[in-house]
Amino acid sequence: MAKKKKPIIDVDIHERATYYDLVPYLDNPWAKYITDADWTQEKHLPYPIMGIDGLDRADAKSPDGRPAGNSLSFLQEQLLDGVGHEYGILTSAMDPSPSSMHGFYGMAEALAPALNDYEIENWLDKDDRLYGSVHIAAQNPQAAVREIERVGDHPKMVQILLPIDRTPWGDPYYHPIFEAAERHNLMIAMHHNEPPSYYGNYPRYFVEWHSVMPNTHMVQISSMIFNGVFEKYPNLKLMMLEAGFIYAPALMRKMDTQYKYLRHEVPWITEMPSETMKKHVKFSTQPVDELSKEEFEQFVELMGSDEMVCFSTDYPHWDYDSPHNALPKLDKDLEDKVFAENARSFYPKLQAVGGKVPL
Amino acid sequence: MKTVVCKQEELEPGNMIEAKLGPIPIVVCRTLDGEFYALANKCLHQGATLSKGMICGAAAPTDTPGEYDYIKEGEILRCPWHGIEYDIKNEGRMLADPQRKLKSFNVDIEEGNVVVSR
Ligand code: FES
Repeated sequence: MAKKKKPIIDVDIHERATYYDLVPYLDNPWAKYITDADWTQEKHLPYPIMGIDGLDRADAKSPDGRPAGNSLSFLQEQLLDGVGHEYGILTSAMDPSPSSMHGFYGMAEALAPALNDYEIENWLDKDDRLYGSVHIAAQNPQAAVREIERVGDHPKMVQILLPIDRTPWGDPYYHPIFEAAERHNLMIAMHHNEPPSYYGNYPRYFVEWHSVMPNTHMVQISSMIFNGVFEKYPNLKLMMLEAGFIYAPALMRKMDTQYKYLRHEVPWITEMPSETMKKHVKFSTQPVDELSKEEFEQFVELMGSDEMVCFSTDYPHWDYDSPHNALPKLDKDLEDKVFAENARSFYPKLQAVGGKVPL
Repeated sequence: MKTVVCKQEELEPGNMIEAKLGPIPIVVCRTLDGEFYALANKCLHQGATLSKGMICGAAAPTDTPGEYDYIKEGEILRCPWHGIEYDIKNEGRMLADPQRKLKSFNVDIEEGNVVVSR
């Protein structure tokens, strides 16, 4: 008997632009830095993983030899059709913003628009299941706002991707970006980044780095909450990508407790942080921690809401989660929420135009 | 159930080949000593196709942090996704959790052919 397919909205898919893919979208000298000077962004991550294709699944290179995530047709075959996605949110594999630009911010400000144009033309306009993230050079909030104004109204741009970097995102320095997000009905997302802590060193082993991803996310969430970002921008919602969700209940309880003792310092906070989180913050499942059904339900119960967790694959990376095998079999109501409905309710533009954008 | 996978010389030591035993996807691995092993071609974790991974060695368990002894070259099957290591010669057991193992199948050489059965 044919099983009815569950709807899947995957909130973290990394399409990949090579630097050369961006050349047609760049002015000079930025284009020439790539074509003539062979510029590449300095990456920090010091460790290799054996048996994996860089940081990609070893089976995700396209048959024509292009790197994982670079070919739309192979991504369609292996992921969108192969798995049966309803929608996928693209988050790219290039981050023009973080400290890896090492002060070369002019290049970051050129790369972000190029990446957005590339994403729209080669991905969003070519598959009605794919929705996009606006990339910004966050070091310069004015430039970031200009870019959000430029592409933020594209019907398939649903969020702004904020790099996790040295300055936590609650800082008022960044607030113009949130204002712009609200103007364009865009949500915001943060993806784990290198290094794991915002102040920047690496541990000795990859396994340590990868185990403490939630630290970075906790720093960002508590910064957003206690700096009153969600009071100031009530329509803003935050998706935390790629640290899983089992740290959330601990953080919620911790912040509530601390708020009771230290409210005097943050009198602009008028409700329990956990309540704000329930309304404004969601978490991607991946890299999912191995849980039984009972354990999964317990974590959700401790969060006090079954509307905070959204499924993601992280395709094509090595720690990809399979929609069919990564999570325990959940009861239908929770399964629907985790695999699709929580994401659907998170992105207002997805609800408004979902699948109806003429290509 | 029985299937002829390939000719003996078609699978070099240190390599693997995927096949089917009836409906079951299998991977036949040849270790450096020339022996053949047939295992289920599906990772116990999230089901990745193991033959898309690699055959390699592994660091031996040790009491001393920072010490590496790279052993079992050609005897470890590493998953293409999250990298779980399976010990080919030890019944396809997971190095990190030896209680768990891949299903294994019989391999015989018949008239120069690699034949898998169960
Ligand atoms: S699917 Fe093999 S290690 Fe996860």
